[in-house]
Amino acid sequence: MEKEITFDPDLIHEIFKLAWKRKAAERGKNELSENMESEVGASSSKRSRPTFANANALKLSAELLRSFVAEAIQRAATIAEAEGSTKIEATHLERILPQLLLDF
Amino acid sequence: MTQRRFDRPLSRASFAIGTELANATMLNNSPTMEDLDGGMASEVEREEEESVTHLLRDRFRLCTISIAEAEAKQCGMEVSQPIITCISDLAFKFAAHRNDHLTTLLRSFCNDLKAREPNLERKRKKNSRKEGRVAQGLLRTPDT
Repeated sequence: MEKEITFDPDLIHEIFKLAWKRKAAERGKNELSENMESEVGASSSKRSRPTFANANALKLSAELLRSFVAEAIQRAATIAEAEGSTKIEATHLERILPQLLLDF
Repeated sequence: MTQRRFDRPLSRASFAIGTELANATMLNNSPTMEDLDGGMASEVEREEEESVTHLLRDRFRLCTISIAEAEAKQCGMEVSQPIITCISDLAFKFAAHRNDHLTTLLRSFCNDLKAREPNLERKRKKNSRKEGRVAQGLLRTPDT
């Protein structure tokens, strides 16, 4: 049985960590400016704790992203097939993107 | 799932929103950099993060190419490279931003649970103390 091609959970984890790091930095700056305005001491906000994801969460996230890509290709392929074309082009993708982005 | 979603008519408003998103992604070759870049403390850190983002996006794109080509093959179709690039960029943004939304929801849910936790903890301790007293009572059986 052919193994299904999917995203590497470690790669997904690296992307998430990058996004979390960015968000934490922004949150830290916002808290600092809020504390300076309210003249309170060092921030002890619980929101500054790092975010983690376990193995199952990463696998699920990889599967969600794989579904997104697969769904985009399948929907565009349906449009291309209806037009009698054998190659998926930009025009086919343009027509399915609005609903796809709203669905996901 | 695919056929059902296609049959449903799209309202004007939803089509307009979706088209705007799609056009913004199709025209902009590197949207992900701007989305993830939010103001860095130093130029060096900014450049480092940009290079990390580039690397991750390229690795992500390679995976997307494999998945997209496999799906297209199943449908008996070919898919052009710009299409795969566009889908890859969209999925990359989805991974970064959707995750952010989910993290925010989960975090607020966690904080709500912890806010209720002191009451639950008190009840649990009360119950365990009661159980302890009952157990002690049972152990102290009088000598007959």
